[in-house]
Amino acid sequence: MWTWFYKLASPPYVYGTAAALAPWFLGLAAIAIGYGVVDGLVFAPPDYQQGDAFRIIYVHVPSAWLSLFAYVSMAVAAAIALIWRIKMGHAVAAASAPIGASFTLLALATGSLWGRPMWGTFWAWDPRLTSELILLFLYVGVMSLRSAFEDPARGDRAAALLALVGVVNVPIIHFSVVWWNSLHQGATVAKFGKPTMAASMLWPLLSMALGFMLFYGAVLCMRLQGEVLNRERQAKWVAEAIKS
Amino acid sequence: MGGGGNQIVTGTGFWSMGGYARYVWPCFAFAGMILGWNLWSARRYRVAAQLRARRALEAAETDRAAPTVVTIPRTAGGKA
Repeated sequence: MWTWFYKLASPPYVYGTAAALAPWFLGLAAIAIGYGVVDGLVFAPPDYQQGDAFRIIYVHVPSAWLSLFAYVSMAVAAAIALIWRIKMGHAVAAASAPIGASFTLLALATGSLWGRPMWGTFWAWDPRLTSELILLFLYVGVMSLRSAFEDPARGDRAAALLALVGVVNVPIIHFSVVWWNSLHQGATVAKFGKPTMAASMLWPLLSMALGFMLFYGAVLCMRLQGEVLNRERQAKWVAEAIKS
Repeated sequence: MGGGGNQIVTGTGFWSMGGYARYVWPCFAFAGMILGWNLWSARRYRVAAQLRARRALEAAETDRAAPTVVTIPRTAGGKA
């Protein structure tokens, strides 16, 4: 188990694995998202209350899930980098931040567009919306802090600490609809037991969520290749990799 | 997949999205933009890093190939 773990710390292994995985992730993401969009927009029936406006969930929910998943991935990578002093952890955290930030923005924008016809307003200082906005600020903070230091190693450490502190916001986002009175609806898919959603509406949603996750994997691998090259520019293996 | 009881939304009904077109389509358009931006920026980031690494490698090879030239500064009297 530890051999595998330490293999992950090797930059050439990370670079090679990311290069091999990226096209597979991207291809599978295209299939899953393609199916989800067609099934969600064309074949899924309109909601009996929300009509066709409910179709916004096919981009809103997967992007919201991904915003949390990317943050947790970033925090785990940051923790690994700080605890075991594995510098590839910082590379993964740095690669994850802009992707997570962009999907948080997408979740907020699509939620806002859904809120206008359903709640009568684009924005409300609701616990779920506010905590998701804080998540966007955390992403921006982590990215800014990393680039604020002249010494990249210090920037990495500071950003990793902020990422770890900010992870407390993730359960707050998830449970905000339970802990406080919220305009936002509660869990419908991730409920223990049976999801309160018809299968014809649920399948495209799950397909879109899977597609977004795979897309995250693909883009993370591509960014990670860049991060590894930037950090290991002077290494011998980089010369061999570039020549080949 | 897709389950039973599906209805196919066709024609103008599809584009009008039951009167919610101005909310539904911008969401999907923005999602497309975010996916496109992520793909473009990740590729650009990787290519830029590869280019920088290649330049660093070429510079190192040039340094190794070039003979070492030591420049001796001239003194005020014109003698080296």
